[in-house]
Amino acid sequence: MATYDFVFSALGLEEWCDANGGDAAPMSMDALVAQSSGEEQTTSIWELPFPSMDALNEACPAFPQSRALTLGLENGFLNVKDSISVVLDPITQPLSWMLDGALYGVLNTPWWIVIPLILLIVWLVSRSWQLLTFVALSVGGLAFIDYYDYAMQTLAIIMVCAFLCVLLGVPIGIAMSRSDKMRAGTIPILDMLQTLPPFVYLIPLIFLFSVTEPKLYGIAIILYAIVPVIRLTDLGIRMVDETVIEAADAFGMTDRQKLFGVQVPLALPNIMAGVNQTIMMSLAMVVIASLVSAPGLGVLVLRGINNLELGVGLVSGLGIVILAVILDRVTKAALNRINAAQKG
Amino acid sequence: MKKLSTILAAGALAAPVAAHAQSDECGNVSITEMNWASAQVVTSVASFLMEQGYGCDVSVVSSDTIPAVTSVAENGEPDIVTELWLNSTGDTYDELRDAGKVVEAGDVLDPGGVEGWWIPTYLAEEHPELKTIEGILENPELVDARFHNCPEGWGCRVVSDNLAAALDLEGNGIEVFNSGSGQVLATSMADAVLEEEPWFGYYWGPTVPLGKYDMTKVDLGAVKDDVHARNQNADTDNPGVSDFPAAPIVTATTSAFQGDHPELFELMSNMTFKTSNMSKVLAWKDDNNASADEAAVYYLTNFQDQWSNWLSESARENLEKVLDQG
Repeated sequence: MATYDFVFSALGLEEWCDANGGDAAPMSMDALVAQSSGEEQTTSIWELPFPSMDALNEACPAFPQSRALTLGLENGFLNVKDSISVVLDPITQPLSWMLDGALYGVLNTPWWIVIPLILLIVWLVSRSWQLLTFVALSVGGLAFIDYYDYAMQTLAIIMVCAFLCVLLGVPIGIAMSRSDKMRAGTIPILDMLQTLPPFVYLIPLIFLFSVTEPKLYGIAIILYAIVPVIRLTDLGIRMVDETVIEAADAFGMTDRQKLFGVQVPLALPNIMAGVNQTIMMSLAMVVIASLVSAPGLGVLVLRGINNLELGVGLVSGLGIVILAVILDRVTKAALNRINAAQKG
Repeated sequence: MKKLSTILAAGALAAPVAAHAQSDECGNVSITEMNWASAQVVTSVASFLMEQGYGCDVSVVSSDTIPAVTSVAENGEPDIVTELWLNSTGDTYDELRDAGKVVEAGDVLDPGGVEGWWIPTYLAEEHPELKTIEGILENPELVDARFHNCPEGWGCRVVSDNLAAALDLEGNGIEVFNSGSGQVLATSMADAVLEEEPWFGYYWGPTVPLGKYDMTKVDLGAVKDDVHARNQNADTDNPGVSDFPAAPIVTATTSAFQGDHPELFELMSNMTFKTSNMSKVLAWKDDNNASADEAAVYYLTNFQDQWSNWLSESARENLEKVLDQG
């Protein structure tokens, strides 16, 4: 006797239940325990089960169990995945090429070209001797303990992904700032991207693309890291002073002139803060990306965890921290120079 | 009146449980649950037998091979570690066993686990030459010129890396793809089999994917124990070619547990699942989209002839009702 028998008898559905009764649900552990201790499963009001799919299935075998829902989702996805991947595969292919190219580039260029090049970029962006020394020491240190290849792989992946995030995120942010409807539609998606556990969309992605494609982890990183640059671009443009816009209108500026001549330059500090956050969040995804075969420091962290090689885990984890500090300080230095230029 | 009856009913439910606990003085036992399907079934069956048959309070600890062994080494907890694949436990376990901290109770799967390099059966039927490694080396394009390797940190990774070097996979035009995690390895196999595409890679059984998909083991030649032992060392200078021997999978307990609970240790030494039965249970689990607990119930209600021999006299009495069902 199941608790909700009365529902089906009251509705006169008993015949339907008996006629369409599929396979009985697999016996649960609780039922077996009850059977072994020889007690009839009596339910007091305290133990009244919620009328869930499983509880209703117990009363009426024709009623689907909740596992039918998850199974249905799975089959549904497997059925549509071919058509999805026909569309998505070519669109995302450039991502694979860029990642492959960047990884090939850093690994096949000698260190005595790559390291000075990094230092040159740091100098051009920040013009700070202190920062330059810090970066030189950190990169030199990583190379000295033979983590150079891993660190450069990670750096290459982050750079490609962060570049694409900015390339896609800034226009989306601008569009959001110009249309309230677009904003209302985008914000829930951004919230979801930030909170959805990455593995939930990683496994379907493996079914869509081949596991050997670098775009698999590229997409995972971009989906997670693109959020702050979109949010802060939108915020930055919306925060531009009304009076400045009025002045621009008074000069007879077109919308396009207003956007690129007034709004974007004034929002630049905010946009740069978004870029900084985007880079940080891509670094946070490095270890998860390694679970879908991204090379770099993340692999070493995973090796440390799986083998309990504490030293490897700690050193590679610290390597990621060092990369994060470098990228953070460099982008912040760039941000400060922009701020200073605007004030002056 | 209604209130009173509720209280009575609650009392009636609670009373037998309490009586049960008093009759056997077993106390608390902790057992690991590894994160793969067969281990979860084993743990679930073992906990049921210990709770219902021996009146213990069982706490299940979710773990993984190396963390579990390390935890036993450092803290002497949990009491029982089951589905321990000896080929991936490393030196720590041997040291523990030699130091007498851990006692091997017995094989949990008979004849042990199957490891190897696999191709889908439809591929093997279409191109029978792919059933041996020589055939694959000659026709790399038939297996998509790719070998799906184990993730970093698995025992099989070292062996497969050495085999790949000894067979010169890369030199024969087969790219070695290092999976980032077990999920990636399983998904790539599932994806290929669903699409009937070529696939060539490492896998092991008894597992859900090997129960679900029809795979053929690639013949790597004879099993040479000395070569295999050499291949298990990451820094070996002369890797050789040897197929994977059957992997011993055991239940181990702390030596303190053996002293405190001789009856349960007896149960753990007797607890041996036939690998073929485990494959059946896993296939059933997948067909019915069932949980590990439900799969354990399926085993308990369908294979009484197997597990009744593991029990002591008194436990058999306690579990009479489940035993009689079969």
